[in-house]
Amino acid sequence: MVVVRGLRKAYGGRTVVDNVDLDVRSGEIVGIIGANGAGKTTTVECIQGLRRPDSGSVRVVGLDPLRQADQLRPQLGSQLQDSALPDRLRVDEAIALFATARARRADELLAQFGLIERRRSAFGSMSGGERQRLFLVLALLNRPRLVILDELTQGLDPAARRDVWAAVEQLRADGTTVLLVTHELDEAEALCDRVIAMRAGRVLDSGAPATLVARHAGWAKVRFGWPGSADELRATLLTTPGVQYVAVDTGTIDAVQFTVHGERQVIAQVGAELVRRDHIPADLRVEVPDLESALIELLEADSAPPCPATSPTTDLIGADR
Amino acid sequence: MTSVATTAPSTALPRRVASATRRLITAEIKLMIRDPLTLTFVFAFPVVTMLIIAGSFGRDPDPAFDHLDPAHWYVASYLTVMIAATGLIMLPVHIAAYRERGVLRRFAAAGFPRWSFFAAQLATGLVTIVVAGAVLLAVAAPVYGVPAVDSWCRVVLGLAAGAVGFVSVGVLLGSVLRSARSAQAIGLLLFFPSFLLGSGGPPPQVMGAALRNIAEYLPLTLVTRAVREPWLGIGNATGPLIAVVLLAAAATVVSARRMAL
Repeated sequence: MVVVRGLRKAYGGRTVVDNVDLDVRSGEIVGIIGANGAGKTTTVECIQGLRRPDSGSVRVVGLDPLRQADQLRPQLGSQLQDSALPDRLRVDEAIALFATARARRADELLAQFGLIERRRSAFGSMSGGERQRLFLVLALLNRPRLVILDELTQGLDPAARRDVWAAVEQLRADGTTVLLVTHELDEAEALCDRVIAMRAGRVLDSGAPATLVARHAGWAKVRFGWPGSADELRATLLTTPGVQYVAVDTGTIDAVQFTVHGERQVIAQVGAELVRRDHIPADLRVEVPDLESALIELLEADSAPPCPATSPTTDLIGADR
Repeated sequence: MTSVATTAPSTALPRRVASATRRLITAEIKLMIRDPLTLTFVFAFPVVTMLIIAGSFGRDPDPAFDHLDPAHWYVASYLTVMIAATGLIMLPVHIAAYRERGVLRRFAAAGFPRWSFFAAQLATGLVTIVVAGAVLLAVAAPVYGVPAVDSWCRVVLGLAAGAVGFVSVGVLLGSVLRSARSAQAIGLLLFFPSFLLGSGGPPPQVMGAALRNIAEYLPLTLVTRAVREPWLGIGNATGPLIAVVLLAAAATVVSARRMAL
């Protein structure tokens, strides 16, 4: 659906996209994640043909976004960052303006996004959340093959955010390809089949959210209270595969507090050990990292001095690309 | 829970919709008549100033006004004030605001061809001028009367060429200037001298030599002469008319090439 090779873009000598390769397959929801200034938006603007790359190639549904824009753009639905509609344009007029011959029934979409009562409202009178929902309606209006959503849920309250997520899930069910640009990592983790992590215009890594978490933040932490002898259990746990350290703190009068840190398998290993000892602690807690932790570790690794043999960047980027 | 009902694109029946240009023109005309800047500068300002200025010199024929009724001299001049207001203020501010707020990006991403936006702005500007001109004549008629038109063809040609030229200049300014504020500042700076020296201010005969020389070469003066002289039968204004047609053609070509979404 989308094939990008060697994409470069600079503004006034400052490189914002640097040799980016990415692929989006038909029916996938792919997220581009990274901090502000990572080059995410410029990358998707090149994909949409809104910016001319300095070098590299971009193909979207087999078409060149610049040379074949007239054929391509009717197949794209876009929700752009930092864009607006004229303040005095009403919702129904916006629908009439953007609807093509392929358009679906606008009333259904407006109802689904809670805007049916706002049909006659001017864009300038709408809240930030309503505007975002209207942009989504416009992005989906013409049955696009590829939907590009840039900072999808910016300005939405939690309930509206959940509704928009559900709409994106529905797009997945319908087989629509979605390219999602976000720095909301819980959003990327919840919605995306694959994510592409960018920093300073470069792709650091890509893969399924769970894969990235396992790759860059594969640790786990297990905490529990232990009523018996701490020394003996501590010694046992330290010899357990995957355990990196065991901390024992004063807990309550009846029990000491164990914290076991290690690879993800320590969850099962500690559980098994506790079952073997016939003690299921009521306060057992497990902490595992999410995509945000993985991205932070990935970014920290990228900004650390190079370490040839173990650098996650050099090890892993090629694995998924 | 939100769900999006979809139909496979291949099975969707195409329905009749207007072309992109027509949809843009429809939306832009609606927006234009809701815009306070348009209402103020293109509709209200020329009418109010025409009522004041045209009534300031009495109704007797005056040598400074080519021995005509000064009120009629101004009524025949003021149609070009709205042409200038549309081209120098309304359109530049409108288009620059669109660029600044990302509206043009949204149009581009939605697949509106570059020329469709230019065509829409041209059409919107011309419609605005026609409607504002009709309003001005409707107000002038009961107060001062509308002078008879001596040469319809030349007047219409002068108005049309002037309108196309100034609208094209407006589109060009809007595509060059990066913010609505700068467009407004530049637009006002261009508009008021043109208005005072080229159309709605004192007649050239009462100006000093230096000002008269400057006024003579202002584009708005050329448009005003191309309209007023054949209207009032005080000349053919062939020279100004040719100059206005050439300026309009050049402005249209340059702005059409420069206009980008």
